[in-house]
Amino acid sequence: MKLLTANRLTDGLTLWYSGSGWVEDAAEATKLSDDDADALLIEWKLRETEVVAPYLIPLTDTGNPVQREHVREFVRANGPTIGQTTDAVAKEHGRTAIFEE
Amino acid sequence: MSTPKANSTYDAQLVTNAGDVIPNGWRLLADDETHGVDGPVVLGFDRALRELDGLNGHYGVRINPGDDVRLLEPFLDKLTVIEVAFPGFRDGRGYSTARILREDLGYTRVLRAVGDVLRDQLFYMLRCGFDEFLVKDKDPAEAVTSAAKRFSTTYQGAADSARPAWALRHAGV
Amino acid sequence: MPATTQAPTPTMYKYDAFDHAFVRDRNKEFAGQVARRLAGEITEDQFKPLRLMNGLYLQLHAYMLRIAVPYGVLSSKQMRKFAHIARTYDRDFGHFTTRQNLQFNWIKLADAPKILEELAEVEMHALQTSGNCIRNTTTDQFAGAARDEVADPRPWAEVIRQWSSNHPEFTFLPRKFKIAITGATKDRAAIRVHDIGLHLKPSGFDVYVGGGMGRTPHVAPVIKRDLNPEQLLSYLEACLRVYNRYGRRDNIYKARIKILVSALGAEEYGRQVEEEWSRLDKAKVDAPAAEVNRIKSFFPDPAFVDGFDSAAFERARTADAGFARWVKNNTNPHKRDNHVSVTISLKPTGLPPGDASSAQMDVMADVADAYGYGELRVSHEQNIILPHVAKNDLYTLYEKLDAAGLGTANAGKITDMIACPGLDYCSLANARSIPLAQDISQRFEDAKLTDQIGDLQIKISGCINACGHHHVGHIGILGVDKQGIEFYQILLGGRADEKAALGQITGKGLSAEAVPAAIERVVRLYLDLRTSETERFIDTLERVGRDAFAEALHEHA
Repeated sequence: MKLLTANRLTDGLTLWYSGSGWVEDAAEATKLSDDDADALLIEWKLRETEVVAPYLIPLTDTGNPVQREHVREFVRANGPTIGQTTDAVAKEHGRTAIFEE
Repeated sequence: MSTPKANSTYDAQLVTNAGDVIPNGWRLLADDETHGVDGPVVLGFDRALRELDGLNGHYGVRINPGDDVRLLEPFLDKLTVIEVAFPGFRDGRGYSTARILREDLGYTRVLRAVGDVLRDQLFYMLRCGFDEFLVKDKDPAEAVTSAAKRFSTTYQGAADSARPAWALRHAGV
Repeated sequence: MPATTQAPTPTMYKYDAFDHAFVRDRNKEFAGQVARRLAGEITEDQFKPLRLMNGLYLQLHAYMLRIAVPYGVLSSKQMRKFAHIARTYDRDFGHFTTRQNLQFNWIKLADAPKILEELAEVEMHALQTSGNCIRNTTTDQFAGAARDEVADPRPWAEVIRQWSSNHPEFTFLPRKFKIAITGATKDRAAIRVHDIGLHLKPSGFDVYVGGGMGRTPHVAPVIKRDLNPEQLLSYLEACLRVYNRYGRRDNIYKARIKILVSALGAEEYGRQVEEEWSRLDKAKVDAPAAEVNRIKSFFPDPAFVDGFDSAAFERARTADAGFARWVKNNTNPHKRDNHVSVTISLKPTGLPPGDASSAQMDVMADVADAYGYGELRVSHEQNIILPHVAKNDLYTLYEKLDAAGLGTANAGKITDMIACPGLDYCSLANARSIPLAQDISQRFEDAKLTDQIGDLQIKISGCINACGHHHVGHIGILGVDKQGIEFYQILLGGRADEKAALGQITGKGLSAEAVPAAIERVVRLYLDLRTSETERFIDTLERVGRDAFAEALHEHA
């Protein structure tokens, strides 16, 4: 299983592929079969007018990103973990927790 | 929206610094190829160093990044075309090669940029003394003429005739 | 205390028509490129190098715009513009970096051309803040003010800025290239860990080449002494040409000039530079005396006010212990007896090092106008400096700063940490830096303890690229990633000053939770071992050796 993620061209914000298109909230991301994910990645790499730098995040059986990617993807999905940009900003921009730390 | 075609995918055309598209009369010779009466040829760098001493006439030479251009000094009067290869956008050694040829060795004939030559490098190449470009672009002639006009201010002396800001600021002083 | 009237007229370089035209041309070009990208006429592969040339990165969460603050010098007007940009286009804050620049973390691509236009209005841009070119020259944050200054580095930094702008030969170097310059006895610019470090003395420049941090840190050797300043640019051009021709391009980790200099040896590299230099047409490269003098004329002393009411100053110090402490820690001796340079700490307990809100930026601009001749600096320690403040104004200034959360009295102390953005923002990072800095600053929150410890520099990087200068921290911290878990390697004994040295890694990496306690053990040991209060941490460490400290660090690990 994999997630497809990218950044929106116009404002650079992190996006997640859900069955119906791109969403800002990682919790709504679709867990894709490996084959679907690979095909979608190729498709979106060619269609760079909407999103930039798409890539796949491999998931473990429990649906978490594999270990190597864990911290990075946690931060990417939830926003910075710090000071004046912490929870408030994450909530304001719809970045509710998806990966349990 | 259609997916744009990258400039790097167009066939290269030869353009002068005046923006004229011209035919390329020169051919790069493979190192094991003999040169006869087939017309003007460009020799590989090492071969040129080995053979130019015993040759008469006018030749071209291809300089790759890593070749020491100063080794050509004794043969410059036999060279009509020097091609400087840019195998990738990010490899900037050819800029130094060009300036050494123009400003240090005093080479005055054709200096040509070949390889991965794209629109966004042309301004720098013009300033370093190139006068012909084998450039890949949808509109190669426009790419060269617009590069020449890209910046009205330059801050350093280089191989072109542009006068740096410091010279213009104190002109007439 | 009587307020002293001073003119808010910063003495810094001002653009002329040529400089304005240059930035305008670049901005116009970039606006066109952005429009073409948004319209789908160019691909991301084509656009990426173009946006990077204009300081626009795509980071973990959004685009990041890195704005060049030339050699760290800012006017109050420019600082107000930063506040405006933070409010209008970003999430109301900005991050001052170890390169004396400013980064905005949440920029929209479509806004970038407008932001650059706004910056151009105040003579600023984001050029050459990325890419394998000559980056912003950095210098002593107290330049033109410090009592120990021998010669002012700022005019030379400006000479270098112009020469390196859009340099046709050096825009595609093997790797990025950073020059630092100091003119004081105490090196506050860390010149020996830069690609080129310049030490300006009455006899000329001493030129150090091949320093750097990252994967293979090096302290730069000197390759030329007493270089005639009039020939600075041609000599730099020779240094860069040898590097451009012979620096490695086959391996990104071996492409910095430090690898070339160390492979050739300083002597051989220096010989090649001399040879190249002897062949250069110097008149074509070196800025003529008239131009150097023109640039120098922008950097006179401000119209310093006279007088100092020492009795009132002492009364304020006695009455307000917080003020007394701030004066002790956050002021630097000035060449005028009745002035000081003030460090505004951007390291309050528990907040990200180097961050400032738009409201704080406005306050800093206002106090610069009222008490600092309209001028500010960014230090590589990620603080803001008011280079010239009359002592008569210090107490009022302190009260205003303190009210805005800018009165933290910890300059140069253990909580005045350098930290890169780390994995919270940066797509290159392996581990987070800022939360660790927050934890450490909370551990050492106690002012008495901070003062007792004295000068101690902790520097934190979230990856081997070392933006947080961990190699030259007295205590350096390097974040690493081991199978998805963050670990922190601790280095001891580095220093960035005129006795530059690289810290050495001690033992295994620690978890984030273990780091603050481990550092406290090291600090306690120092307090036990020091011979007197004037023996600083780094002195004790150099006297006693690293082993005892390394042992304390890993006691429970």
